[in-house]
Amino acid sequence: MAAAPAPLSARDSARHALNRLAYGPRPGDVDQVARDGVMRWIDRQLDPSSIPDDSLAGLERRFTILRESPDDLARIFEAARRARVARQKAGDAAAPDTTDAPPEMRRLAGEFTDLAVVRAAYSERQLDEVMADFWTNHFNVYAGKGIDRYLLPDYIEHVIRPHAMGNFADLLIATAQSPAMLFYLDNWESVAPGAVPPQLARAEARARFGRGNPARLDSVAQRLPKGINENYGRELMELHTLGVDGGYTQADVIAAARILTGWGIERPRQDPRFVFNQWAHDFGAKTVLGVPFPAGHGMDEGIRLLKMLAMHPATMHHVSWELCQRFVADEPPDGCVDDAVAAWRKTGGDIRAVLTAIFHGPDFWAAANRSAKIKTPLEFVASALRASGAEPDTTFRLGQVVARLGEPLYQHVAPDGYPETQDEWVNSGALLDRMNVAVGLAAGRLPGARVDLDAVVPAQENHEALVDALNRQLLGGAMSDHTRQVILDQIKDLRDSAAARSFAVGLALGGPDFQRQ
Amino acid sequence: MTITRRGFVRAGGVALFSVGLDPLFLNRAAYALTYRPGDLATERPVLVCLFQRGAVDGLNMVVPHGDPIYYQERPRIAVPGKDVVDLNGYFGLHPSLAALKPWWDNRSLAAIHAVGSPDATRSHFDAQDYMESGTPGVKITPDGWLNRYCQHDREHQSSAFRSVAFGPELPRILSGSAPALAIGDLKTFGLRVPHNPAGDRVTRAFEALYQGASTGLLAESSEEGFAAARQLQAADPSRYQPEHGATYPNGKLGRSLLEIAQLIKADLGLQIAFADATGWDTHVNQGASEGQLSARLKELGDGLAAFATDLGERMRDVVVLTMSEFGRTIHENGNSGTDHGHATAMFLLGGAVNGGRVLGTWPGLAPEQRYQGRDVAVTTDFRDLFAEVLARHLGSTELASIFPGYTADPARYVGAITA
Repeated sequence: MAAAPAPLSARDSARHALNRLAYGPRPGDVDQVARDGVMRWIDRQLDPSSIPDDSLAGLERRFTILRESPDDLARIFEAARRARVARQKAGDAAAPDTTDAPPEMRRLAGEFTDLAVVRAAYSERQLDEVMADFWTNHFNVYAGKGIDRYLLPDYIEHVIRPHAMGNFADLLIATAQSPAMLFYLDNWESVAPGAVPPQLARAEARARFGRGNPARLDSVAQRLPKGINENYGRELMELHTLGVDGGYTQADVIAAARILTGWGIERPRQDPRFVFNQWAHDFGAKTVLGVPFPAGHGMDEGIRLLKMLAMHPATMHHVSWELCQRFVADEPPDGCVDDAVAAWRKTGGDIRAVLTAIFHGPDFWAAANRSAKIKTPLEFVASALRASGAEPDTTFRLGQVVARLGEPLYQHVAPDGYPETQDEWVNSGALLDRMNVAVGLAAGRLPGARVDLDAVVPAQENHEALVDALNRQLLGGAMSDHTRQVILDQIKDLRDSAAARSFAVGLALGGPDFQRQ
Repeated sequence: MTITRRGFVRAGGVALFSVGLDPLFLNRAAYALTYRPGDLATERPVLVCLFQRGAVDGLNMVVPHGDPIYYQERPRIAVPGKDVVDLNGYFGLHPSLAALKPWWDNRSLAAIHAVGSPDATRSHFDAQDYMESGTPGVKITPDGWLNRYCQHDREHQSSAFRSVAFGPELPRILSGSAPALAIGDLKTFGLRVPHNPAGDRVTRAFEALYQGASTGLLAESSEEGFAAARQLQAADPSRYQPEHGATYPNGKLGRSLLEIAQLIKADLGLQIAFADATGWDTHVNQGASEGQLSARLKELGDGLAAFATDLGERMRDVVVLTMSEFGRTIHENGNSGTDHGHATAMFLLGGAVNGGRVLGTWPGLAPEQRYQGRDVAVTTDFRDLFAEVLARHLGSTELASIFPGYTADPARYVGAITA
């Protein structure tokens, strides 16, 4: 029943590339990319540093959180926490949920999630932003867990974003050494059984000579970690590298955990940084995936393990599969994955090369895979902002809009991160809420943004021309005949041309065409 | 290739397009054409699950006031014997749960102690994950046990409101391939448009857009969404004011319970409802008869009492089940609070409940009876409890699929539900 595939027009290929490598087209983008040549545009996107991003830089200056260092944030959050504990100790039974955050923390949290949406919608380095989102989910950290609240911003800024299109091993090692990941997956508390920190050893020695406070010593000793914590070792293999079918065993997980003992956080509540604690490290011999790790090695064997995992065939396959799922299809075609793996192998895990292989492969451009994915809430909101020419205001509420649609950024509890497939995102309540967002945006009521539709789709009496303009400017020419007809029918009897224009925009952005990418 | 479960019906019944292999879709399609409010029987059993997130202290909730060790281990935060609402001479309710005593007395409230997970994790989110996925120790289970129940019991899938989570997002426990709704606020669910001609225009416009233009999941979900919004508008659950003098406490939990009651009364086919409450992670200054935990328990007790009062006769068909990911340490900590423990306590409330008892096997609090020397030991795997509720209250026979890696055995049921 399938006819011979029609050749892909320049505009169609531009639109497809903009829908996958970017958060959708802005008015005029499809024409621009088609004129410049889509492969040239793709090549530029693969080299973000070659793309100036001044207007985003301007927007970023509004975000105070970008100026707070990790110890600043630690200080702010810790002060708030101590205040809360003090209230509780004072017996304030009316103290609400311990999760209630004071205003400054809420403001910072709002800024942080709003920043993600602003970057996605307004950066010229679109592919870089898409990859930042991809790795944020692949190397998920939950902001709601303890001190991760204030470790996340630095994690995103200095671990995820700079490595998003570099070498996978570098990214993996950066996440492994990040206080955010060390805390989230408990590796900072993982110690060789019986390991005692030097300060405690000295204090115990003093106590034996009758000095110091034995009761206090006991309670400190009780709170210290007692042994290996496997959590990170397991997720490192299951989620970050090899994948659940990657062929590792429980023994491998334990061995990995032993190798990574000592990888901890120095001064977590004051100035959180990576530290390698010799005293906590298990210097014994281990075997991982059949590979011997001889005794007597310290931090270097952890680096060796991570590099080994980064270049393992199962890892290449697992991560390539995820990349193909993001860029090509919910069920990634084998050919695409094979191309990606080949590029990985050839370049030692250069993410840019892997992406290049994907975008140059036939599966990326195949008709069956175009307009066949559904946008995630972040993709929907970012693409709606881009399509409508909206601008962020200074209320920092765009993160809340995305949260309302089911994807509260940085709040995914489990280490697997937010999912990619439509099965997870398309449910009846969420779709209705997307329609609400669309209608709200078109009416100038979307929290966190303002829109001037006159600049994009001026109101006019001639409805056919209006809908044509809407199609060109907002949907990049992708409006289906059915959508066109329904919109025309629905605005037919509206006298007020501004009302007709807003209604049409709301329908276009909330309709099924715009949910697809 | 994802196989969808149902097809969709073109407006006017002109074309029936099936993309699924599901003989039940015909029933559903027919239903979609002929649904009238009030169609759905009121006799069907309803299960309401309430998750106390943060690991509730079972020992101060259902107090073993008959055990001197309890008082030895908690010099500052044990609930005094004179304050507890005695249940059976050994256990008593925290005084803030006094509102529930009448249901204990009329045998529709039961408690179960020493219930929990076989997994040793003391991580909140891992443990919640395991309790919601129904697979302790396994992190890759893609769906929740309540969703798997829905997947395997299609007979009741005749309403968009069959399973509803009250909150902004669908929790793990209800995630999966069976349809489930997350309703943040019953009053604003659906298209946020006025109920007037202008608003109706928006609704009709979107329906028209989605009807012919989309296929697969987009079509099904949008159709479900519009149907749900329509049904909700017609049934107008917010018109059901609390009856029989029921007064719900202020706050999120009270509101969730009120909305669940409204949805039940609206006869929209609700079978599974879920809500959660936070604030149970009492590491610091937990309080005894008064204090932090007491305030949370008051909200819980008053909320459940209001719910049962409000529903009145309809409680015959309803079971409310509370759950929490684990309990807390027997010994109080240095901050007059408790740290993460192991077994906890859960409640069952409803017509089908074997009430007036504390169920399960109480292991005792002596050092040699504890888990890892510090916590209440688990003597009932939570899956045994959940399986019994599903089997005896909802009539499920698919327990092996709902709890993979686990074999349900009625011999292990604690007898929470009358058979």
